[in-house]
Formats: sequence, C-alpha cells, structure tokens
Amino acid sequence: MISRFKHIILLMLLAVVSVGVSASEPEKADSAEGKINPKEIIFGHLLDGYGWEVPFDHHHRIPLPVICYASDGFHCFSSARLDHGAVYRDGDCTFTIGGAESKYKGKLVEIVDGTEVRPWDFSITKNVCALFICILVVGGVMLWLASFLRKHPYKAPRKGLGAVEAVVTFVYDGVVKPILGPQARRFAPYLMTVFFFILVMNLLGLVVIFPGGANLTGNIAVTLVLSVCTFIATNFFGNKHYWKEIFWPDVPLWLKVPLPIMPVIEIFGMFTKPAALTVRLFANMMGGHMIVITLMLLIFIFSAMSPVAGGASTVVSLMFSIFMLLIDVLVSFIQAYVFTMLSTIFIGLAHEHEHEEDGHGEHSIGKEIVDTLV
Amino acid sequence: MELFTPDFGLVFWMFVAFGILFLALWKYAWPVILRSVDSRADLIDKGVEYAQDAKAQLDNARAEAESYLSEARRQQADILREADKMKTQIIEQARSAAQAEAQKVMDNAKLQIAQQQKEAQQHFRNQVSEFALDIAGKIVHNQMQQDASQKKLVESLLDQIDPAK
Repeated sequence: MISRFKHIILLMLLAVVSVGVSASEPEKADSAEGKINPKEIIFGHLLDGYGWEVPFDHHHRIPLPVICYASDGFHCFSSARLDHGAVYRDGDCTFTIGGAESKYKGKLVEIVDGTEVRPWDFSITKNVCALFICILVVGGVMLWLASFLRKHPYKAPRKGLGAVEAVVTFVYDGVVKPILGPQARRFAPYLMTVFFFILVMNLLGLVVIFPGGANLTGNIAVTLVLSVCTFIATNFFGNKHYWKEIFWPDVPLWLKVPLPIMPVIEIFGMFTKPAALTVRLFANMMGGHMIVITLMLLIFIFSAMSPVAGGASTVVSLMFSIFMLLIDVLVSFIQAYVFTMLSTIFIGLAHEHEHEEDGHGEHSIGKEIVDTLV
Repeated sequence: MELFTPDFGLVFWMFVAFGILFLALWKYAWPVILRSVDSRADLIDKGVEYAQDAKAQLDNARAEAESYLSEARRQQADILREADKMKTQIIEQARSAAQAEAQKVMDNAKLQIAQQQKEAQQHFRNQVSEFALDIAGKIVHNQMQQDASQKKLVESLLDQIDPAK
C-alpha cells in the first residue's frame, strides 16, 4: 500500500516537473515580445471580454456578438472582427477595442474624429453569455423539478433531482421559513431564485473551460443588480412599522428632534445593507478567482527564473490551487447561502411587527445576525 | 479601477436575464415545488402521527386482550371451582335423597309386613273359631242323639223362657 502510494507520488512529481519544463519553453518564446505581465493576465481573467477563451489556445477565442448603440444607431457584428486590436468599420462607424493606454482599456470604443468614444454597449460578452448559460441551467433544472413534482405530487425525487430538492428544502426550511414565518410563501420565489442563481454562477465560475470560467459573481455589476433587487424587495414591501423605525425610531427625543441624527443613520443604513451584500459576494468570489490565478502564475514566474524553481513551484502551486479551488467550492455555497440569508433577514425586518406574537424570537435572532455581519 | 465600476451592458443584461428567470420560476416552478415540498412534509408528519396512533392503539388492544384473557382465565377457574362445589353438593344431595327414599321404602315395607301379619293373625283366628264351632257343633250333635237328654234340655230351656213359672 505504502509502496504504491510512493509510486503515485513519484509519478506525480515527474509529470509535474516535465509540465514545468515544457511550460517554460513557450515562455521563452514569449519573452522575445516581452516579459510576462502577471497583472495583465490576472485582470484579463477577472474582467469581462468580447470573446471566450478556448482551452490550450491563446490566439483563438469563441467569437460572441457585439451589440451597441453608436452615434448612428444600432450595430451588431461578431467580436472576431475586433480580435487582436483590429479596427472594424461597420456602416459609417469605426469600432475597436480600447488599447493598453486607452481610458477604455479592453472595452469596445467607437472612433469619432480620432478620439475614442464609448458607445452604449449591449454586447453579449463572455459574462453575459455565462449569465445566459446560468439562467438556462437554473431555469431548466427548476422547471424539470417542478414538472416532476407536478406529475408525482407525493413522490420524493431520487438521484440528481433529489439532490436539487434537498438543497431547495435546506434553504426553504432552514432559512426562509424560520425567518419570514407566514410571509415565507410570498418572498420564497425571489429568495430561492437568488440562491440557486448565485450558487450556479459561483460553481460555473470555478469550471475552467468553456461553459464555465467566467468570473460572473466576482463582477460588481452582477452583485449590484442582485442587491438592488433585495433593496426593492425590502423597501417596496416594508410595512408601516419599518418606515416608522427609519424616520421616527424608538430612541431618546434629543437624538431625533433638533438634528435628525438617528433618521439619517437609519436612512444611511437602508443603503449600506445592500451595499454590504454587493461587496461581500463580489469580493469573496473575485478573491477566490484571483488567488487561484495568482498561484498558477507563480509557476510561470518561477519557470522564467530557472527550470528547477519552476518545477518545485509547480508542485506547490498546483497543490495550493487545488486546495483553493476546493475551498472555493465551499465558499460558492456559503456565499450563496449568506446572500440569501441576509436578504431574507432584511425582508423579515421590514415585516417585523406583523406577527409579533408568533415569530418574535426569530426576529431578534435575525437582528443579532445583522448586527454581527453588517 | 475597472474592477469596481459596473459595466452598463452587463447590468442591463443581468436585469433582463434575472428578471426573466425570476418571472419564469415565480410563475411555473416555485409554487409547485414549495407546495409539494410542504404538502409532502405534512403528509409525512401525518403519516408518522398516524403510525404512532396505530401503534398506541395496537398496544392498547394487546393490553386489553391480555386483560380479557386473564379475566376469562379467572372466570374459568371460578366456574370450575363452582362446578366442583356443585358436584359434591349434588352428590351429597343425591345421597341424602336416596337415603330418605330408602328409609321410606323400608318404612313402607315394615308397615305392610305389620299389616299382613295382622291380617294373617285375623285369618288364623277366624279359622280357629270356625274350627272350634265345627267341633262344638259335632259334639252337641252327638249328645242330642239321645231323646231323653234332648227332652231334658228342651224342658230346661222352656222353663227358662216361660215367665209364668
């Protein structure tokens, strides 16, 4: 048993060292153009793009449609026409991707009289495409589950659907129902959708090749939209008591009357809660991606110094990045859970005194959680 | 920094896509899923409750049956004891009745024997008196064959009858 284990380790080491050495070969070729720029590579992976990388090929990308509203109306063309900084003329407008020194680096720009102008950009970028894939996955799985349950009302699904249903009940019975009580059915559709949407986006982001790999939840636009939705759900459906707590909270009079200190803080709090949601999800997911990419880049940085250092760093980096990816799987779930739980609590706080007698204890727990997390 | 500036296009598509997903699932998926999950949970709860009830009832029934059985056994024993008592009583009664009957029969027999004895005595006496009369008549007849003595007797008898004399 032990000898076999040693065997495997030896093989792994050999393979890894050979990878390190062979990886250093193209690096030398690249170094003719210039040294590798870690920052560029990291941000290239973290940020959006107009095409989708193909594995093992740095020169070709899956082209995605560019849609924009430029100075003379809508334009739609393949992003392949803009590859490698090419300038493309579509009708009367000229488009290109902002260069390294441009204000709109990596973004679609229209060239008007020699200056770069950003058009209204509705392009199906890599992130948008990943978003659609995620929507299809979540929608498909949930509609499948729904159709199964419609066909067999009292039967528990098995295997894959059973796992999905287990997660559904985990979130619904574990978070939504205890916190919202009688309001659970009303807000559950939004909260469950958010949970599965974030979860699938997070997990797809960890898959390195085509259907995944987009750093979607690590993009502030996505998390911003989600927390704006929570903001809407909280404030548009808040009850009278919720608004009274904001504008006339239950504090000593001098905190409210000459200077409305507490109301100002409360109103500020209305916006900091979703802002915290935005940043938490964004920073966690982006950080995870960034760490894995950085660990991978270490291999190439060290390989550029010497093959031995490259080989050694390959082993270390590989192990660390696998470890980090596993942690990220956990983080994916935790962040989806936390976002859903906090959204539920915010919505619950906006309905606090509607059913005081039956759910008071849970709400005070909710408040405690908010106090510690926000 | 571009990392912290939300991109307009992505925000737009995110709103559209998430809105579509939310509306679709809100309309077609979540009500069905949540209702069925809830109703199944209710069903399971009810099933468990029912099973517990059934078990309690079964236990109850078993205890009841046990108690009935022991009651029956006790009654059986009682009845057996009763029957035993009755048996001895009946035998006793029969014995005493038989004794009484036998006494009666014996008494009757004694009476009859006495009666028959009396009758036999009577009969015997009658026969004896008859024999005596016969013997007496024969003796008188023999004596009356002589005239003289007859005349004498008639004379004496007439004398007794005649009041004048």
